[in-house]
Amino acid sequence: MAEVGVEDVMAVLREAAARLTEATEELGRLDGAIGDGDHGTTMARGFAAILRALNEVDPAATDLTALFALCAGSFLDAVGATAGPLYASGLLRAGAWAEGRKSLPAAEAPMLLVALAEGIGQRGKAAAGDKTMMDVWLPVAQAARTEQARGTPLAATLADLKEIAAQSAEATRSMTASRGRAARLGARSLGHVDPGAASAAILVAAFADVLALRAG
Amino acid sequence: MPPRSSSGSARGADAGAGVPLRFGDDLLLWASWLYYEEGMTQSDIARIIGVSRASVISYLADARTRGIVNISIETNRLRALSVARSLSEHFGLKDCLVIPSTGGERPLVESLGAAGAQALRALFRSGDTIGVGWGRSVLAAAKALSTEALQDIRVVQVTGSTSAHVPYTPAACATAMAAAIGAECIPLSAPAIVSTPELRDLLCRESPVREQLACLAELNRIVLGIASMRPSSTLHASGLLKDGPMFRDAYAGAVGEIAGHFVDARGLPVSGPLEARMIGITLEDLARVPQRIAIAGGVDKVPAILAALRGGHANVLVTDAATGAGILHAEGLSVPQVRPGQETVAGLPVRTRVKKFLNAPDEAVDEALEGAVADYAGFLRPVRGSNRALVALDGPRPGKVGVVIGGGAGHDPCFLGYVGRGMADAVAIGNVFASPPPGPILDATRAADGGAGVLHLFGNYSGDVMNFEMAAEMADSGGIAVRTLVTTDDVASAGERQARRGVAGNVLVFKAAGAAADRMLPLVEVAALARKANDRSYTIGVALEPCSLPETQRPLFAIGAGEMEVGVGIHGEPGVARQALENADDTADLVVDRILTAMDPKQGDEVALLLNSLGATPLMELHIIGRRVRQRLKARGVVVARSWAGHYCTSLDMVGMSVTMMHLDAELKGLLDHPCHTPAFRVAPVATG
Repeated sequence: MAEVGVEDVMAVLREAAARLTEATEELGRLDGAIGDGDHGTTMARGFAAILRALNEVDPAATDLTALFALCAGSFLDAVGATAGPLYASGLLRAGAWAEGRKSLPAAEAPMLLVALAEGIGQRGKAAAGDKTMMDVWLPVAQAARTEQARGTPLAATLADLKEIAAQSAEATRSMTASRGRAARLGARSLGHVDPGAASAAILVAAFADVLALRAG
Repeated sequence: MPPRSSSGSARGADAGAGVPLRFGDDLLLWASWLYYEEGMTQSDIARIIGVSRASVISYLADARTRGIVNISIETNRLRALSVARSLSEHFGLKDCLVIPSTGGERPLVESLGAAGAQALRALFRSGDTIGVGWGRSVLAAAKALSTEALQDIRVVQVTGSTSAHVPYTPAACATAMAAAIGAECIPLSAPAIVSTPELRDLLCRESPVREQLACLAELNRIVLGIASMRPSSTLHASGLLKDGPMFRDAYAGAVGEIAGHFVDARGLPVSGPLEARMIGITLEDLARVPQRIAIAGGVDKVPAILAALRGGHANVLVTDAATGAGILHAEGLSVPQVRPGQETVAGLPVRTRVKKFLNAPDEAVDEALEGAVADYAGFLRPVRGSNRALVALDGPRPGKVGVVIGGGAGHDPCFLGYVGRGMADAVAIGNVFASPPPGPILDATRAADGGAGVLHLFGNYSGDVMNFEMAAEMADSGGIAVRTLVTTDDVASAGERQARRGVAGNVLVFKAAGAAADRMLPLVEVAALARKANDRSYTIGVALEPCSLPETQRPLFAIGAGEMEVGVGIHGEPGVARQALENADDTADLVVDRILTAMDPKQGDEVALLLNSLGATPLMELHIIGRRVRQRLKARGVVVARSWAGHYCTSLDMVGMSVTMMHLDAELKGLLDHPCHTPAFRVAPVATG
């Protein structure tokens, strides 16, 4: 696969939706430990709305910028909450980064995650170590930039990003929440994986797995 | 053997000759532990400690009069000791001293310093060469330490000097430590960070620096702080880590700093642009020091301390109980709880599925809205087709500031119950406990706009803040002036006002803002009055049982049979403290104490009182609580000028209540008395005379 196009991104989103639906209970359980327990349903509901919107899309008649904007709007209208504005901002930024193209050189695809991370970061303003989804998105974006600069082959980059996302989600266990509702728990948030970080790792894994498969 | 003998090194947890380090020099605590916890006889204790039985008896009596043995302090201390034992076992520490986290007036760093000094006094030996790192805890330990019993000691500064204007630089820490123990001080006469690797190599070859660095290979002990990478960390003021994108990226994977080196979550070194330019002890040198004592505490340091322990950079730890427990939690270990040896009473069987009147859980919010819109058809109607944005029939009018409120579902009658003349003009409703998206907020804003601008009023939660912010931006570009006020009345949720969350005090703030708008005041004044109402509102919530979401129908968290959750929010978030269940009066006292401390009213001041059920607590219990609240306010000379009791801002089916007080003045009282007509809050017009 020399190029990543609209259909590839749609495949990523479909896979992400399926995995988030599977993980609804697990994410809800994580959120129940330190938050209000709705993160699983929020993410599943948001991606279900994306799926419904994708059914109306003619891949030949759209470009990546329009596709991401559609996803951002669908996700936001369906959930609101905290995840809504964050992922909507991230998806819009990824779309803006694609600059109206119908496809990208495959090697550049991980930069979509960088743009996504920047959009989320700007909206939520969380820093590394705050025990939020940014504790996955920041290291993933950092690694994507580094691999890009090094010219690492796509397959290796994707495997690396997936691994980093999983480790980073796990590492939130040792952090004290200082943003969002869990912040009020102080030290009691220790020992729990942040649900937003866990769902971010699921998204990165879906991205990596689908693109690796379609690249092969 | 005399108990205070300084011979021999500190020993582990097993009872034996000599005072184990974790008891420090505290023979009273040691004797008390053996007597009360281990159940030993006074004769056994006398033999183990090496004193007479008469001394043990006097120790035990002394421990009681000095408060070492009493219910609260005892529990804390014992827990601290258990945490210390677990930390030692798990990380293979040579010793661990854990001080209680609560109960004292002193700041944590001073307590850590005192504990650190106690540990150092027991560990330092004549003839030692002791390395000293930098940091607030290290400096505090040096300042708390004073001994003249040691001879021929050298103290070596292990990190180069910094020019930062903080009191705890490497040079200051080494100097203070040397002074405390009467040691010769060997400074490190070079900067911690120099401009180039070449300059570093040159400097390290120069005479004083070379000899000073050579001393680092002779250390037999080292005392270190551990810095976190968090924004609040002293690291950023230390001069060791310059801010800038290059450093941020290079050290993005680091979670902490120890002896001038950055380490990742596993304790492995993270290399960046600084290592080759750094003058000080290397990690290899550090690993060769037999005894590496870290003094560090504070829960924001957990990842950094964990990294230092995982990497084996420290083998003696002095910390506080909350941090120690946090480290164990983060490692997935259970925190040992010392419980009195009484039988546990079996609680009621745990309900696994909470019964609810539902159809499809996913449809719960929309079905409820459909019903509510019909029930309150005399007050409100949908803005467009959707029930997620509702507008008052008799509210918005030309020239009047529109008041838009909103938030997640599950708080009924918040928020839609407050839509009507004299209160909110429109409302946006999200899913259960989740902010509405910008779409319905924008719809509500447009519907409420009478050309005089719109005030957005909602609780301080990150989701609501972001969604309302996006809607305000859209409204603004559509030519509607929007001001925003987030409510922050929950005293338990944070120290400073702007970090607090908004809970039942919402209702009184909505009331005041709605009255101001109904008087046709301009947007700036409506916003200012809303802010004043919010700034003078104080709420504390207490939960007895958790709520359960429609989707799961399971309790969101567990509250033990004999416990209650203090400071609970309205989203089923666990509270900020879990404590033993109290009766109604004691619970009310606890709440009133915290509110009065925050409010600080004067004799004769007036308050408005809102007694609120969090869902399942009946009015009868609210009245019992309210009775005691009034007794306390009367005793304080505070007048309850207005009051309400009932369901005002709930958390689904949570068992619990909240108490809100608004500190009144004539202006706020006038706003509360202004007539309003909404489904859940009504003030009748009164003929004044």
